[in-house]
Amino acid sequence: MILLRQTLLLLWKDLLIELRRRDSLLTMFFFGTLLLFVFHFAFDLPPDKIAELAPALLWLAFLFTGTLGLAQLFQAERDHHCLDALLLAPLDRGALFLAKTGFNFILMFVVELVVIPLFWILFNLSGWNLLPRLFLVTLLGTVGFCVLGTITAAITLRARARELLLPLVMFPLMIPVILATIRCMESIMRTGDLAEAMGWLRLLIGFDVIFLTLGVLLFDSVIES
Amino acid sequence: MRLIVKQLAKAYGYLWALRHLDLELAPGEFIALLGPNGAGKTTLLKLLAGLSTPSAGTIELDGQSLCANSAALRGQIGLLAPADHLYDQLTVIENLQFFTALYGKAPQERALVTILEEVGLAARAGEYVANLSAGLKCRLSIAKWRLLDPGLLLLDEPYGVLDGSGIDLLEAFLRRQCANGHIVIMASHHVARAVQLCSRVLLLHQGRLTFNEAKQSPWPSFDRAFGEFLPRGGL
Repeated sequence: MILLRQTLLLLWKDLLIELRRRDSLLTMFFFGTLLLFVFHFAFDLPPDKIAELAPALLWLAFLFTGTLGLAQLFQAERDHHCLDALLLAPLDRGALFLAKTGFNFILMFVVELVVIPLFWILFNLSGWNLLPRLFLVTLLGTVGFCVLGTITAAITLRARARELLLPLVMFPLMIPVILATIRCMESIMRTGDLAEAMGWLRLLIGFDVIFLTLGVLLFDSVIES
Repeated sequence: MRLIVKQLAKAYGYLWALRHLDLELAPGEFIALLGPNGAGKTTLLKLLAGLSTPSAGTIELDGQSLCANSAALRGQIGLLAPADHLYDQLTVIENLQFFTALYGKAPQERALVTILEEVGLAARAGEYVANLSAGLKCRLSIAKWRLLDPGLLLLDEPYGVLDGSGIDLLEAFLRRQCANGHIVIMASHHVARAVQLCSRVLLLHQGRLTFNEAKQSPWPSFDRAFGEFLPRGGL
């Protein structure tokens, strides 16, 4: 209960600051949209390749926009040593992890809400009825991305070249979650359901649960180091 | 609150910032932590705040190890860093609400307004902290720690940004903390002011505790030990 209360308090603070600064959300939104237009002009997707290429292109856009958000994730704490103020407080560090993950998830979700339908329009794709299922899988992938992203953002927090280091550390670790999400989306776009990709879906859910639990338990050591 | 430090040491790579420090402080003590630049004052404050892990030694607060029980004890420790530890994009009152809630306290709006009146910030309660000067931010930090009322309050160079009335405000707060049985440790280069307020003086030099005495008057040992660090004209 205390963990939940502290998480909500930290999340409220992050959302309020983002609402006032609008740095991360606007940057992510414009960058995501820009990437879609670049893809639109660069690729001419043949109908038989759409199911293979569309999920990969979408996730490429999410990866880059998400990394921009992660680079700014602890910005408010870097200013005026506010991280020290949080570490000094009688706070469960797991709450800090959950709040930062939740905050990043909300930003990514808002961006995805715009980017996925825009992708459909730009590439003139049919099958709008598949979107709810695609969103569901995308959200599972986004949870994995945010969980692992928050841990790596905390690991690289005090590094000098953290903006360069973050993707270098994060992307290799992110391969299972990206691969599983893309395979699940591909299955939905090809067959309309997840029957072909149940193994990948289980991997994705397992990844989310394991790293979310590890994050709550180990964030204390991660943030202190 | 009783603080016991045994054989405390901190190394950064090959450099020993603090070596073999032993200390025992009783409730209500006011410590002036003095020493030249690079003596290890800030390192000691960070170790006592639990923001840094010692390379060796132990810190005990009321018989509990700070390293082993840091989560439980953190609520008892305050670190007043002038113009720091406040969120720029939150308003003055939102900062107070956020930090008090973080410490599991929920003061009423009236209590927050009263404390802001006392530190001279009532008229700016709705302003973003980013718009405040360093001195006003320090006043807000004073208000924050008055509300949180820590058993061990650490201060790192608090005088630099405060004006005359701000200093009076800070010193009144520190005296009240000690009167309530709390421990105050203040690192400062304002030797005269710090010595006037304190009950005990610690001198750090090259990471070692070279002087540890309760205040006396007259105090020849203090004059001898501090001669080289005192500003011209002494006290």
